[in-house]
Amino acid sequence: MSSDNTFHYALSSNNAWAGYKAHQNPQFFPKLAGGQSPEILWIGCSDSRCPETTILGMQPGDVFVHRNIANIVSPTDINTTAVIEYAVAHLKVKHVVLCGHSACGGAAGALPDTRVGGVLDTWLLPLKTLRFNHAEELDAITDEKERIVRLAQLNVEAGIKVLMNNATIREAIAERGLEVHGVFFDIGCGRIKELGCGTAHAGKGDHVVRGKHGQLVFGQDGEAEIAAAQ
Amino acid sequence: MVKADREDPDPRSTIHTSGHNPPPSTMFSTRLGLSPLLHSSKQASSALSRLAIPTTTSTPLRLTLPSATPRRFCSSHTVVDDKDRKKDITMYLQETHDKVFENNKSWAAEQVAKDPDFFKKLAAGQNPEYLWIGCSDSRIPAEQITGLQPGDAFVHRNIANLVCNTDLNVMSVIEYAVKHLKVKHIVVCGHYGCGGVKAAMTPKDLGLMNPWLRNIRDVYRLHEKELDAIADEEARYDRLVELNVYEQCRNVVKTAALQQSYAENGFPVIHGWVFNFRDGLLTDLNVDFKTILKDIQKIYNLTD
Repeated sequence: MSSDNTFHYALSSNNAWAGYKAHQNPQFFPKLAGGQSPEILWIGCSDSRCPETTILGMQPGDVFVHRNIANIVSPTDINTTAVIEYAVAHLKVKHVVLCGHSACGGAAGALPDTRVGGVLDTWLLPLKTLRFNHAEELDAITDEKERIVRLAQLNVEAGIKVLMNNATIREAIAERGLEVHGVFFDIGCGRIKELGCGTAHAGKGDHVVRGKHGQLVFGQDGEAEIAAAQ
Repeated sequence: MVKADREDPDPRSTIHTSGHNPPPSTMFSTRLGLSPLLHSSKQASSALSRLAIPTTTSTPLRLTLPSATPRRFCSSHTVVDDKDRKKDITMYLQETHDKVFENNKSWAAEQVAKDPDFFKKLAAGQNPEYLWIGCSDSRIPAEQITGLQPGDAFVHRNIANLVCNTDLNVMSVIEYAVKHLKVKHIVVCGHYGCGGVKAAMTPKDLGLMNPWLRNIRDVYRLHEKELDAIADEEARYDRLVELNVYEQCRNVVKTAALQQSYAENGFPVIHGWVFNFRDGLLTDLNVDFKTILKDIQKIYNLTD
């Protein structure tokens, strides 16, 4: 698809989408215009292969979103902080989800000793620090793709620590049971798995989530298994 | 210049494409609307009552919670046994969490059914044409409203779609998208009814959010005369949303990455769009990119 085509496609496709949505449910847009009450704050990567609402199978109004390079949660970054403040203190979301992913360009850029250039070196500094702190573990991984995956997972764990110490999030956890989750999206298969960090896994073993159609069992390795409902 | 009249959208935005398949999902939740930033404390305390209760659960994966449950735990007037209440909350949180994983599994299966190599291709790398800079607002998932597929748009979303000079977060996104991914279009997409813009029109201390919202207050100050001449508050608010998009487009043009890439390759070009919840449509503000670039380079030329 040429770049001009993509541009026209997006605008005309929006028209088709809006018509379809309104036809399906005439109240859809009037209700959206009334306000938002998302239950999930998603902090993910800007990567074009990780469209949060699509991969979660959700709809407009469901997920409040911040996406940046390599889903880094930098404690002093006022951009992310403002998003967290608004979502947690004002919108009162019930879940904060930090999502990393495989084949992350940010993690790949932070692995070698060379410069990426420009402001990116500064932005990726938390990843560089992780690489330094976990050099032994990372260097032992022979497959480069796997090394990128591991660094991206360490990055989620580090981000969760920052989130769990954010004052607004701490208050919300104590006052109303806000949940914080560290998850990982495998682009190679389209699946999300829990990494076993955050509130849900603090001091627990297997974590069983019972749903209407089945139950999810999050094992110690973070792999989610689906079982028939009991 | 910005085209002020959004009643008269760009004709491109009204063309239907026959080839487009609208998203199949019919999931929908009832929501009680609030303008979040402007809660009175009473409104804020009732915010928990805004739990989404699915009404038309046409997809079997959407978990339905007995409607009494969230109301019970929200209402401060109902006397509920504390133990029960905690159990309800825990159950509710588990089910909302569960829902996401179930949806994701069915979405992944659906993609593989349509194209067995879908994820293999995705895993091979990204080559997006677009950089989308939009609002964090949950009602504007970039990909869904534009019909773009995973892999098509690199996305940054923050409060009120701001592009601030000293924000390393957004500056890294622009630099990566322009220099490394070589995107062809950069879209700054605002939306009417933006909570961040509304908050900035209200002189009030908003704590941690002050430094961020200050940037929108600056947009107001830059266009104070024009905005204050608009008598109708709603219309003034809508206009500030448009002017904010326009100013953020200017901020993108001020970056070295954009200027250098454009001088060298003739791309990316900048677009300012506004999304309207009332009808779900995008309007192109027809930002005059070349004129902005020319004007800006008198002072901000970073191509040399």
